[in-house]
Amino acid sequence: MFWRLLWKLLRGSGGRLAVAILSLVSCAMVVSALLNLEFDIERKLTQEFRMLGANILVSPRNAQINGSSTAEVMSESEVAAAIAASKEPAVVAAASFLYVVANAGKTPVVVAGTKLEELSKLEPAWRIEGDWKSSHDLAASCLVGRNVARQLQLVVGSPLRLTYLNENAQFTVAGIVDAGGTEDNQVFVGLAEAQNLANLPGKISVAQLSVSGTSNSISRYAARLASALPAYEVRPIRQITEAEGDLLSRIRLLIVSMVILILVLTALCVLGTMAALAMERRQDVGLMKALGGSIGRIVTLFMAEVGVLGAAGGFVGAILGIELSRWMGQRVFGTAISSRWEIFPLTIVLMVAVALAGALPLRLLGKVKPAVIFRGE
Amino acid sequence: MFGRLVRESFIRNPRRKLLTAAALVVGMAVATSTLTIALEVGDRLAREFRSLGANLLVTSQSDTLPVEIGGVDYRPVNEGAYLSEADLGKLKTIFWRHNILGFTPLLDVPTLVSSSRVTSTTLIGTWYQHDVPVPDGTKFKTGVSVTHPWWKIRGQWFRDGSNEAVIGAALAAKDPDTFAIGKKIQIRHSDEASAARTLVITGIVSTGDAEDNGILVPLSFAQGYSGHEGQFRQLFISALTKPADTFSERDPLKMTPTEYDRWFCSPYISSIGFQIKTVLPGADVRTIRRVADTEGNILSRVGTLLWIVTLAALAAAALAVAATSATTVLERRGEIGVMKALGASNVLVAGIFVAEQLLLAVVGASVGFVVGAVLARGLGASIFGTPASPRFILFPVVLGLAAIVALAGSLIPLRRAAHFNPAPILRGE
Amino acid sequence: MATLVQVDDLRKEFGNVRALAGVSFNVEAGEWIAIMGPSGSGKTTLINILGGLDMPTAGQAVVDGVDVARLDEAGLTRFRAQKIGFVFQQFHLVPYLTALENVMLAQYFHSTTDEKEAQHALERVGLGDRVEHLPGALSGGEQQRVAVARALINHPKLILADEPTGNLDEANEETVIQLFQELHHEGHTILMVTHDPSIGNLADRRIEFAHGKLKHILTPAKLA
Repeated sequence: MFWRLLWKLLRGSGGRLAVAILSLVSCAMVVSALLNLEFDIERKLTQEFRMLGANILVSPRNAQINGSSTAEVMSESEVAAAIAASKEPAVVAAASFLYVVANAGKTPVVVAGTKLEELSKLEPAWRIEGDWKSSHDLAASCLVGRNVARQLQLVVGSPLRLTYLNENAQFTVAGIVDAGGTEDNQVFVGLAEAQNLANLPGKISVAQLSVSGTSNSISRYAARLASALPAYEVRPIRQITEAEGDLLSRIRLLIVSMVILILVLTALCVLGTMAALAMERRQDVGLMKALGGSIGRIVTLFMAEVGVLGAAGGFVGAILGIELSRWMGQRVFGTAISSRWEIFPLTIVLMVAVALAGALPLRLLGKVKPAVIFRGE
Repeated sequence: MFGRLVRESFIRNPRRKLLTAAALVVGMAVATSTLTIALEVGDRLAREFRSLGANLLVTSQSDTLPVEIGGVDYRPVNEGAYLSEADLGKLKTIFWRHNILGFTPLLDVPTLVSSSRVTSTTLIGTWYQHDVPVPDGTKFKTGVSVTHPWWKIRGQWFRDGSNEAVIGAALAAKDPDTFAIGKKIQIRHSDEASAARTLVITGIVSTGDAEDNGILVPLSFAQGYSGHEGQFRQLFISALTKPADTFSERDPLKMTPTEYDRWFCSPYISSIGFQIKTVLPGADVRTIRRVADTEGNILSRVGTLLWIVTLAALAAAALAVAATSATTVLERRGEIGVMKALGASNVLVAGIFVAEQLLLAVVGASVGFVVGAVLARGLGASIFGTPASPRFILFPVVLGLAAIVALAGSLIPLRRAAHFNPAPILRGE
Repeated sequence: MATLVQVDDLRKEFGNVRALAGVSFNVEAGEWIAIMGPSGSGKTTLINILGGLDMPTAGQAVVDGVDVARLDEAGLTRFRAQKIGFVFQQFHLVPYLTALENVMLAQYFHSTTDEKEAQHALERVGLGDRVEHLPGALSGGEQQRVAVARALINHPKLILADEPTGNLDEANEETVIQLFQELHHEGHTILMVTHDPSIGNLADRRIEFAHGKLKHILTPAKLA
C-alpha cells in the first residue's frame, strides 16, 4: 500500500512538482558537471603546470660546478636506465644535459648537450624561432639562446663553430631560443656531439625531469628514483612543486565552494515548491489523520515522495551533467575531460539529500490539526 | 487606493511572503557572492601565482655573454656591462607601478673563503628587505622575500648595508663548523695582494637551487667588494599581470594609436616589460616564459571555468526565485477569485501583485546583497587568505536581477489567474 | 445496553469564543443520535472532540471507556484508527486514489491492508462494480457511499457523521440515508449532525444545541 500511495501521490501532483523536478534536474546537471570537472581538474591543471618545466633534478652529489668546466659527471646510461625502469606514467619529459664551456671564436659560451627533441618537451614554454624540428640532420644542428644569437650575430641557418681544448665541431643554427632565463645564454647541441667535444663519452652533468602530479606524488617519485640512483642526488625543485601544490588546492577549494552554494540554492528552490505543496496537501493530511494515520507515517510518506523525486532528478541531471561537463571541458581546457561513473551515484545521493532538506516544510504537515481542516463545514 | 491595496496586501499574511522573501534573500546572496568572487578571483589567483617567483628578468643590453651554469655567473668581475642601482626607484613610477610587487638585483662575485674544505665560492650580493627611494619621495621595501618566496632561512637574514651574510645550505653542509650561525668568516679575492674582509654569518638559507652553493650578502657589500659601486648585473621582477593573448603578443610599434592605448593600459606582461625598458636605460627586459606562460594559461582557464560556474549559480538562483514567486501566486488564487468577483479588472489584480512582488524583490535583494557580501568575504578569506571586498556596483545588478526574476516567475501564474473563474474558487474547489 | 459515550460538562473555547459551554449527556451502544441546532451552536465542535480530532478545554468525554480529553497525540491517533469511523459532508476522498484504494487507506492506517475485505465493504454499499473508479468519476452519492465503506472498514465502535447528505441531491440523499438505516439496524452506534428534521426524526434521540449548550434531548415519536 505504501508504494501504491507513493506512486499515486507522485502522479497526482503533476504540475506542482514540475518546478521542484526542474530545479532538481538543473541543479543535478550543474553539480555533476562541476564534480566531474573537480575530479579531473587536478589532472588537467597539473598538466598545465608542466609548462613550468623541470621539477625534478638529478645531479652528482655535492655538485660544485665551479669555474670553467663541469667538475663532476654522472653516467648517462645509469641515469637513463633508472628513469626508464621507474615506469612512472606521470613523467612528461626527461632530458640529460652535459655542460661544456666551449669557445665560439674568441667568446666563451656555455654549451649544453642534450637530446633536442626531449628538450622541447621538457620546456614547452620556450619560444623557439625557426623550423628546427624538421631539420634533416639533428646531429649537425644546434639551438642558440637569443642572447647568444645577438652577441655572435647569428640567425637561423648561420654556421657555428665550437672549440674546446683540442676538439672542435661545426653546427648549423636551426633555432633561436627565447626562454627568459639562463638558457638564453646557452647553445644547445646533441648530447653525443657535446660528449665528443668535451671528450666525456657516456657522461652527463645533470638530468632534468618534468613530472606531473601532486606535490606528494612528485616527492614520492623523486624518492623512488633516488633509491635507484644511490650515487647521485635526486630532488624536487622546490620553487615549482610548492607553488603548484598551493595553487591547486586553492582552485579546488573554489570549485567545491561553488558546488556547495549551488546545492544550497537548490535545496531552497525545492523548499519553496514543497511549501506550496504542503499547503495543498493540508486537506489530504487532515483526512489521513482523521483516519488514524500517525504523524510519523504521514511524514514518512511525503518524505519518501520527495526522496524519489530527488533520485529521479539526480539520475536525469547526472546524464545531462556528463554532457555539460564535456562541453565545459572543451571550453575551458580545449580537450575533453574524462567522465567518472562515480559521479552518478554521488549526484543521486546529493540530490536526495538536497530534496529531503528542502522538504522540511513537509514535516510541518505533521502539526496539522485535522479539526482545523474540517471546521470550515 | 492602489497604494493602499498594495500596502495592505503586502502587510497581510507575512508568513506566505516569508517564503518568497527567503528565496530572494538566499538567491541574491548566492548571486552576489558568486559574482563578487568571479570578479575578484582573477586578481586573487594572480597574486597567488606570485609565489612562483619573478616573471621578468632584466640584464644589461650591452652585457657580454654570461658564462652561467645552474644560475650562477662565473665571468670575471671586470668583464661585461652593469646596470645602475640608482635607476631602480623609477620602476615604481611607470603606469603599472602598483603591479610591480617587488624586485631584486643580483651581483655575483667569485671569491676565496677561509674554509679548509672549501677554498673558493661565489659571493651573491642582493637585497633581503631593502628600502628603495622612489622619485616621488616615498620608499618601497622589496627584496628576495618577494621575488624568491620559496627560499627558507634558518636563523636571520642579513641587515641591509651590513657585513652580515647568509650561507647557502649546500655550502654550509660542506663545512658545518666554519659555516655556522654566529661564526665569522674571511673572504678575499684571488689576487694575492688584496685584503681579507670579514663576514658575520646570521643565517643559513635553503633555496633548492644554485644559490645553495654560495654566500649571500647585502648588495652594498658585494658592490664595495667587487669595486662596482652602485651597480648590479641582473634584476628579477615580480609583477602582477593579466594573462597574455594574441593581442598582447603583437609588436607595439605596429599598433594603431587606439590599439596601443589599449595594450599600454592593460597589465599584460609584454606591456609592463615595455614600460620597464623605458625607465631603465640600457636594459634588456625579458619575460621569464616558464612562469609567465604557466600563470597566464592557468589563470585564463580558471577564469573561464569560474564564469561558467557563476552563470550556473545565477541561473539556479533565478529559478529558485521564480519558482517561489510562482507558487505564492498560485496559493493566493482565493484572494484573486474574491477580487475578481468584486469586479477587479485583470489589470488591477496583476498590478497589485506585480507591485507587491517588486517590493519584495527590493527588500529581499537588499538583504541578500548584504548577506552575499558577507559570504563573499568569508569565502575569499578561507580560499585566498584575504577577504573579498564588496563591490557596490553589484547592488543595482542584483536588484535588477531579483526584480526581473520575481516578475518573470509570477507572470506565468498571473496570466493563468487572469482566466480564473471566481466561482469555483469561492466554492472551495 | 452498555453506555458507549459519556460526556460530562464538556467545554471548548477558541480564544474568546465559547463553542461548548458545559455539555453533558450519555449515548448507549447501538443508538442513533441526531445532533441538531443552528449553525455556530457547537455541533461540529462536539463531533470533532468525540472523534479525537480536537481537544476540549475542560470536562470529560469518555468513548468506549477511553477519556478522549486525557489522550496524547499518539493516543488520539490510535483512538481514531481503532474506534471511530468518520463520514464528512465534503466526502473527503483522496482524489487520486480509486474507490478501492480510498477504503484501503483506512485499513493502512489501522493495521494492514486487505484488498478482499475492502472489496466486500464496497459491495456492501452497492459499489462492487465501481471499485476502480476515481472519485472524480463517481456521483456525489456514490462518493459518500465510498466514504461510508471507508468509515466501516475497521469495525469502529462509533460512527460520526457530519451533515452526510448536505452536499447531495434528493435522490442520492435517499440512498445514503437508507444505508445509515441499515447500519443502525445492524447495531452500529451513530452520532449524526444534521439540520434536516426529517433525518432527525429517523434517529432514536435528538439532541438540540444552542449557543454551545444542550437545549433539550427529544425522543421523536417513531412511526411504527
